[in-house]
Amino acid sequence: MPEEIRNEVMERQERSHEGKGKGRHGHHRHGKPQDSVKPGSLKYVWRSVSHNKGAVIGMILLALIVVLCLLSPIICRYGYAEMNIQDWYQTPNPNHLLGTDQMGRDLLSRVLYGARYTLIIGITATAMSAVLGILLGAVAGYFGGFVDSCVMRFLDLFQAFPTLVLAMAFCAVFGTGVDKCILALGITGIPGFARLMRANILRIANMEYIEAAKTINCPTWKTILKHIIPNSISPVIVEIAMTISRNGLTSSSLSFLGLGVQAPKPEWGAMLSEARSYIRDYPHMVIVPGIFIVITVLSFNLIGDAFRDALDPTLKD
Amino acid sequence: MQKNNDKPLFEVKNLTVEYHSGDAIIHAVSGVSFDLKPGETLGLVGETGAGKTTIARASLRILPEYSVERVDGEILYNGEDVLKMNDGQLRKLRGEHISMIFQDPMTALNPVKTVISQIAEGYREHHQCSAAEANQVAIKMLEMVGIVAQRANDYPHQFSGGMKQRVVIALALACSPKVLIADEPTTALDVTIQAQVLDLIKGLRDELGTAMILITHDLGIVADVCDKVCVIYAGRIVESGTKEDIFDHPTHPYTQGLFAALPDLEHNVRRLKPIEGLPPDPSEERRFCDFMDRCPHRCRECKGFDKNTMVEVSPGHYTRCWRTEGKEA
Amino acid sequence: MVKYVIKRLLIMIPLLLAVGIIMFTLMNFVPGDPAQLALGSGVHTQEEIELKREAMGLNRPFVVRLTEYIGNIFLHFDFGKSLTSGTEIKYELMSRFPYTFYIAVFSILLTIVVGLPLGIYTAVHANSLGDKASLFITLLFDCMPSFWTALLLVLLFSLNLRWLPSSGASTWKHFVLPVIANSLGGLAGFTRQVRASMLEVIRSDYITTARSKGLKEHAVVYNHALPNALIPILTVIGMRFGSMLGGATIVEVVFSIPGIGQYLVNAISGRDYNACTGGIIFIAFTFSVIMLLTDLLYAWVDPRIKAQYAGASKRKKVAANA
Repeated sequence: MPEEIRNEVMERQERSHEGKGKGRHGHHRHGKPQDSVKPGSLKYVWRSVSHNKGAVIGMILLALIVVLCLLSPIICRYGYAEMNIQDWYQTPNPNHLLGTDQMGRDLLSRVLYGARYTLIIGITATAMSAVLGILLGAVAGYFGGFVDSCVMRFLDLFQAFPTLVLAMAFCAVFGTGVDKCILALGITGIPGFARLMRANILRIANMEYIEAAKTINCPTWKTILKHIIPNSISPVIVEIAMTISRNGLTSSSLSFLGLGVQAPKPEWGAMLSEARSYIRDYPHMVIVPGIFIVITVLSFNLIGDAFRDALDPTLKD
Repeated sequence: MQKNNDKPLFEVKNLTVEYHSGDAIIHAVSGVSFDLKPGETLGLVGETGAGKTTIARASLRILPEYSVERVDGEILYNGEDVLKMNDGQLRKLRGEHISMIFQDPMTALNPVKTVISQIAEGYREHHQCSAAEANQVAIKMLEMVGIVAQRANDYPHQFSGGMKQRVVIALALACSPKVLIADEPTTALDVTIQAQVLDLIKGLRDELGTAMILITHDLGIVADVCDKVCVIYAGRIVESGTKEDIFDHPTHPYTQGLFAALPDLEHNVRRLKPIEGLPPDPSEERRFCDFMDRCPHRCRECKGFDKNTMVEVSPGHYTRCWRTEGKEA
Repeated sequence: MVKYVIKRLLIMIPLLLAVGIIMFTLMNFVPGDPAQLALGSGVHTQEEIELKREAMGLNRPFVVRLTEYIGNIFLHFDFGKSLTSGTEIKYELMSRFPYTFYIAVFSILLTIVVGLPLGIYTAVHANSLGDKASLFITLLFDCMPSFWTALLLVLLFSLNLRWLPSSGASTWKHFVLPVIANSLGGLAGFTRQVRASMLEVIRSDYITTARSKGLKEHAVVYNHALPNALIPILTVIGMRFGSMLGGATIVEVVFSIPGIGQYLVNAISGRDYNACTGGIIFIAFTFSVIMLLTDLLYAWVDPRIKAQYAGASKRKKVAANA
């Protein structure tokens, strides 16, 4: 139930923030025109995020990884699967900047190529979770009643497992490979988005401005389009960033366990799984892929954190 | 009522408080001065955001540290500067000498502690006594504010808003403070409860002989409870004097506007006269009179007025407007 | 309170049933023939496989097998036999459970012992140098996959310093590195959650009230802020415990500890569906029980929830006592 708590906390903070607007210090009410941008609106969030040092670092790191990953066939002198037995077990040197592995494959090319797996799995699985989860949550929140309880009981099923075990269960059912891994992680991530969206809709539906929209006969579709979606999009962005980073960790864990992407492919977790046997003599083979996992996960975390800070300014300073 | 030549018990001199919000500096309170003699009640009147609560919180040094940019001036209690006190002195001051009734009783009480423990705790902090003794005092306080002893072990969420405010009052008065700061004590309550709570505060003040600073935006309450009044606008006192001065001869256009906006039972008016416009942006440094933009009497000479000076209209009655200069004094 | 416990139990039972049914159903449709697996490697005639299918009861209708399986689990705590080794899964799980459980328990203890004080400290001293350092380190740890942390710990403490063993589970020394590796990421996240929760509480009105009473700062923090901040943290602890139970899988593999996670990974890789289903259901059971305990504890601590379920009789008693 971490989502639930998170939502609750978010909700509370949002409320307290609104309270502050008209309450104690009350200065926001007649602040500069820029303060008229409603906290929580996309514009406000974006301005806050782009001024956040962490977010900027996160975005730079992410951009760096994406660019390097895309350019890897050009900048790397060796193919990611190219074996040079005479060059095996090399520690980092000018020829092989990050060294080579037990088959003489260049670690730099492998690590850069491997970014594709992490990014593709992380992003696609998250997209899948987001689309399905948001739909499910929106349906539950909008229709309420019986539909809502059905959806919630269904989601409770997911909550009966630790995330990693759930992902492992799906891997057991679907088998190994990139597509299976995406499927497993995608399904695992649904409840987070569904709960988030449901809580959002319930929260927003009870806001006075929605009532105000109803009283002036604003059609339902317009209410959804103009009020509900813009006001629930920022928490969804936070969840997306956080899910991508979590998926990065889980997918590499699965591959490490031999349940995700399988070994000859340069997925970082799979590379570490292989490198484990050589840790005693060639630690660079273990250190290098790990650093890349950390950087990738960190970049998404920083971005997600910045969005979260933007959502509850009370905790920022 | 006390005589005017008494030494002030509590004195605020040139208090300035600034917050930071994002990149902007918010000038919440600028150069506010007033004093309070034993047993006196001072009303701080002004609209939302004028800086009233900031003054109250600064008096106890409970401003939100994370957003305060600067606090200047002096807050003297019995001649000692609250702003320069160390932690020990400050703790002794809080609760025992100065205490505060908060605006929102819904959030002012700790949800996981029984009301009796929250009241008794403050008493024990200042009196070396047993827990049982402190509980006795707490129950006595609760009964004083009209809550039966049976409910003493309940949690705040089991009380209604009005009852919670009674608990907050009991909590504030538990150590018989010399100065009570009541920050809009009735704003969050239903109109029907407001009068009850106000009467309660008034009664307890008279019974305990506490000096009080009453913060409110309700002129009716001021008329009912206070001896002296300071009208605050945009972080500054614009007019101060005795209740009679302010109510019978309001001189600042803002004060006049406040009275014009009140419904009057004696005259049949079709519409109330609101004060047009909005208060100025507190994040901007202003050169002229803060009220100039909204003032019905503004003219070129307003730009020549040094807004840091106050004009004495009659003895003890000050106003921050040049128009009255030399008129009545 | 009794009412609340009953209500939570009533929710949990159908949930566990559903988990069992779904796991069995999913595994049933996974391609691959359990009979062939049970016969082991080598070439088998169609007849042999058919006989084995008959013996294992695989030819009976799906619903019958499902009912029997679920019935066995719930009534006899019997998960059937492993397809590859033929051993009783129940005994296998029971003998392995303590390892996993110890790792999870010590991980959560470490998390609480380090994370709670650190979270409180950083919230009380928000924006201090210590807070910033802690934020940076926790951010970094939060992004480290536990298997990588485990490998780095092995590299440093087992291979270079030779302080601690790198595999096995015979002495307490064997559990030091696995527990650290398993808790580091969660510890970092937990610290941040405690900080956020504490920060929110510290800035609330009733803390100002407490301060205005003249209480000492540590009394304000520990008597007033902490109990409130701990309420949401309790649920977080439950969640973390659950995820450390799951995460134990990874350190069990890295450190060759014969726990449930390792069993599960081997079962999945060896396509041992019985063991796999059994292991997953077992973990789900444990997890649900932990969540149940957390919820009960939560209700016990928070007077607002407790009051909802406190019987009228109890309320009268309180009133009479006062």
